[in-house]
Amino acid sequence: MISADVLHAAGEASPLVPNPWEILATGLGFIVLMIVVVKFIVPAFEKTYQQRVEAIEGGLNKAEEAQAEAEAMKARYEQSLADAHAEASRLREEARAEGAQIVAEHKEKAAAEAARITEQAQQQIAAERQQAFASLRQDVGTLATQLAGRIVGEALDDDSRSQRVVDRFLADLDAEQTDQSRTEAAQ
Amino acid sequence: MDGNLNMIGMGLAGTGAAIGIGLVFAAYINGVARQPEAQRILQPIALLGFALAEAVFVLALVFAFVL
Amino acid sequence: MHSLALAAADNEGGFTPPTLEETHLPEILPWMAEWGTGFGKQMLMIVLSIVLIWWFFSAAIRKRALVPSRLQWLAESGYGFVRNTMGRDVIGEKHFMTWVPLLFGIFFFILVNNLFGAIPLLQLPSFSHVGAAYAMAGIVWILWVGVGFQKYGLRYVKLVAVPSGVPKPLLILLVPLEILSNFIIRPVTHSLRLMAVMLAGHVIVMLVGSGAEFLITQQESLAMNATGVLVLLGFIPMYFLELAMMILQAFVFTLLTAVYLQGALEAEAH
Repeated sequence: MISADVLHAAGEASPLVPNPWEILATGLGFIVLMIVVVKFIVPAFEKTYQQRVEAIEGGLNKAEEAQAEAEAMKARYEQSLADAHAEASRLREEARAEGAQIVAEHKEKAAAEAARITEQAQQQIAAERQQAFASLRQDVGTLATQLAGRIVGEALDDDSRSQRVVDRFLADLDAEQTDQSRTEAAQ
Repeated sequence: MDGNLNMIGMGLAGTGAAIGIGLVFAAYINGVARQPEAQRILQPIALLGFALAEAVFVLALVFAFVL
Repeated sequence: MHSLALAAADNEGGFTPPTLEETHLPEILPWMAEWGTGFGKQMLMIVLSIVLIWWFFSAAIRKRALVPSRLQWLAESGYGFVRNTMGRDVIGEKHFMTWVPLLFGIFFFILVNNLFGAIPLLQLPSFSHVGAAYAMAGIVWILWVGVGFQKYGLRYVKLVAVPSGVPKPLLILLVPLEILSNFIIRPVTHSLRLMAVMLAGHVIVMLVGSGAEFLITQQESLAMNATGVLVLLGFIPMYFLELAMMILQAFVFTLLTAVYLQGALEAEAH
């Protein structure tokens, strides 16, 4: 053991007695390391750290902006949706009113028409009655004249005879009428 | 087998320092367990106590080799 | 593999445990050997660690991608751990950016050098050599004492030495004690804690190596050889324990640096 021999020669057996060259080597080594650390390593790490912090904060800001934008968009969308709803209900209201108006108009028109038709019918009925009345009066007059003539032609004092005359006259009249209606049906 | 009686003394001194260090850290752990937010305040104090307790053993070490 | 070169057996066939001197391996270049040892394995590993840290973090951050690759993510979480857990949480929002490079350098310098102890062939934590630990603790001590004096002038001594709210007669006892504990014991414990844990880990490796070698190769009986295999198996949990200790010591050293700096920066509040 060369080092042991040296140590023994120097009388240095204790582990607490330093080797001066080791102190020097370690001290110088550490100073060199510190220069490297201070000059290169720590600034590089701090810079990276700073960059990352900025990147994260920038990202956060960007995210906030995006969120604000999205919120504005949502508000706009909701606004337009509400507008559309209002518009739709207005249109519906309008349509309903219009529909009601149309129905009322039609009802009125129909009532007028009905009244008109009724009036026309009544007028026609009245006219026909008038006509019937006139023709009936004429017929009744003629018939009465004929009947009177026949009665006068027979004996006026015989009640039963006059009764028979009236019956016969009425039967003739009936037959005449049925003949007439038969010919009408045939036609 | 030969040796130095100093080493036995150093060993005995070591037990005392070990007990002291144990007590320091036991108290530290207790404190942090009770109040975790106090850890930052307690840590340097605990380490200074540890260093002080350790100093006893280091003194024993020095005297074991020097005397 | 130097562990194989350990004198596992003396001339009479008995087992000689490795001594602490054997943690100091022969130097590679005998340059300047007349004033101590020359360029040894420990110094080579210091240089290697610097190159490794430089290369790893430069390669990881070269692209400066906003969405990090796996390598960049690893480097960034390491950096963020030092920056936030040790820098911001301990030193405080106001001053911590000034000290982040220091904490970062200390943490990874010690971590990588400690982890060398867990890598076969390298297998030497640089800080098991007390000189390295003294150097680191010395730099930190100069820094925090310097910060205190720069900020408060000579009043800093009074702020550190005289605890507030203590009755006057007790001060006679307390003032020398405070000065001793703050200005002398702090850097000593700061360095020796690291060195002692690393040295203990290294000694376990040496002991297991030489012991297993002795039991397996130098002993005739099969039972002894089997015990040697058991020793190697038992070393596996110890290895992981040591791994945890290496990371923990780097963490504790850096955190205590931060605590001392914070104490100097805010001496008035204490």
